[in-house]
Amino acid sequence: MTRIWAALLALVAMLALPVAPASGHKLRAKGEAVTVADSGLTVTPGRDWNRVSGKPGKNAETWTLDGGQLNDLTFFGGIEPGKPLVKERHKKKDPLPKFGKATLLVELPELLEGTYRAYKKIGAFQTLSTAPTKFLGQDGVAFTYEYTDEDQITRKGEAVAAIVGGKLYMVSFDAPRLHYFDRAIGDVRALVATARL
Amino acid sequence: MRQAARLLAGALLAPSAALAAAQKAAVPPPYAGVYQPQGVDEIGWWREDDESERVLAASSLVIRDEALTGYIRGVLCATVGADRCHSVRVYVLREPTFNATMSPNGTMRVFSGLLLRVRNEAELGAVLGHEFGHFERRHSLNLFRTRRTGTDVLAWTGLLVSMAPSYRAARAYRDLQWSIYGHLFRYGRDQEREADSLGVGYLNQSSLPPQAAAAMWQNLMDEAAASARARGLRKPNFKAIAFTASHPPLAERADTLAGLARIDGEGRDNGSARYHAALAPWLPLLLDDQIKLNDFGASDYLIQNLARDGWSADLWLARGELYRARGNPRDVEHAAAFYANAIALNDALAPAHRGLGLALLKSGKPGDGHAALRRYLQLSPDAPDAKLIGMLVPGGNAP
Repeated sequence: MTRIWAALLALVAMLALPVAPASGHKLRAKGEAVTVADSGLTVTPGRDWNRVSGKPGKNAETWTLDGGQLNDLTFFGGIEPGKPLVKERHKKKDPLPKFGKATLLVELPELLEGTYRAYKKIGAFQTLSTAPTKFLGQDGVAFTYEYTDEDQITRKGEAVAAIVGGKLYMVSFDAPRLHYFDRAIGDVRALVATARL
Repeated sequence: MRQAARLLAGALLAPSAALAAAQKAAVPPPYAGVYQPQGVDEIGWWREDDESERVLAASSLVIRDEALTGYIRGVLCATVGADRCHSVRVYVLREPTFNATMSPNGTMRVFSGLLLRVRNEAELGAVLGHEFGHFERRHSLNLFRTRRTGTDVLAWTGLLVSMAPSYRAARAYRDLQWSIYGHLFRYGRDQEREADSLGVGYLNQSSLPPQAAAAMWQNLMDEAAASARARGLRKPNFKAIAFTASHPPLAERADTLAGLARIDGEGRDNGSARYHAALAPWLPLLLDDQIKLNDFGASDYLIQNLARDGWSADLWLARGELYRARGNPRDVEHAAAFYANAIALNDALAPAHRGLGLALLKSGKPGDGHAALRRYLQLSPDAPDAKLIGMLVPGGNAP
């Protein structure tokens, strides 16, 4: 069977499943504190966000304003040592880099980079800056990066991470470099400042 | 690996080795010169291809290095002959997988992962010549004709996707769409056989050794085996003498290629030194791209393969980064040793000092680790992570 037919069949199968309209995107209303990523991590949004249905990983959750491809705010709440950031497509054939007990703060940008590259199979990823910061009341790392996805859109990203009690907490925001990143990054930084554990 | 999968698909159905070895490499026919598309199918097909090339030329994934692109073009010309290669425009894409494609209007896409995997001009020429063979025989047009039903499917898919609410559907559609990566064909076995035969035929007539085609293929099989081994997958049982004892269908292909090669071409210069010199400025970036794909077995195989002619500081550094990224306690110990080897060859290599410092910290040797990190900061005070590294060093706090 050709690839195209196989893909079409997969699509038909996908469509045949009963999918509710706007399948479970949840409003995250302005000013209401919520816990995210099935963890103790709490944030208070300064504007309305949508929580995207379906989690990228066991301890991860994504919010967006205009859709996941235009602004992607992902919370990683308490990734345990030995676990990847997001769910692996195949544990053996397609493994992702793991967060480890010995992972240092300065290695967290490398962990995110490795995860993106391995998951999206991309070569064009660049960490732009790395700086110490305070996150969740601890020493943390703030970093920015840029990558070009298979859709040929260059996205900018900014993330802040800390290791608390041996677990990794991180918030990352990715958006197209053109317009969307600059438009929302102020709101994102304000939201990150409200993060509590 | 798409290319590999494609080759594999062709190879599975290859004729018996004995029969294949008896074949002769096709002598390339006289070249027809500037070709213009004929008939409604081909004209439409080229129009689509021209559009795809326009997108490609503007893509941020293209490595815009005149020297590198010119060099690869030169190898293609040396393989297929100067008159033929005039019809080709070469684009090097930053994409860490083994692939090269050629589309009907003469656009050749060379993926950076290919450059890391071939070891000399002859092997590069073998791959480029194979793709050029598909181009010269216009295989993709035949496929296009038989696949027009396929594009109808694409139109229907677009409609269905517009009705689907989920992101996953949108992503699946994008996979189907033509992209700057070009049309990825799975050619039939006869077409693969013809391209193989043409590819070796070009090499036979060139100044490069045609035996490289079989060697390249063997190398690729070995890498796949190393990757599978490291991931704990059921591995193909490759035996020591690969040509006779390896995974049969693949061995058959290697046999075929070896059989087609002119025996007296074996002593020719394969251009290994020129190839390494041309690739040198890009090697650190290509190695970095490969390591971060998180394919430990394949990456380690590639690094060791590249080091066959001698270890360089860049290669030791890459191996250190690879082991540190996996991060088991034993890996960190190895990584520290690899970084130290890199530093012994080039003390000014700042990332090696950084890696060494981090590896030593993680293996419980903070004293030496701090010294290495201090050296890193000394060598590269403006590094993006200088402040953060500064915090790891007592008394070395960021300025």
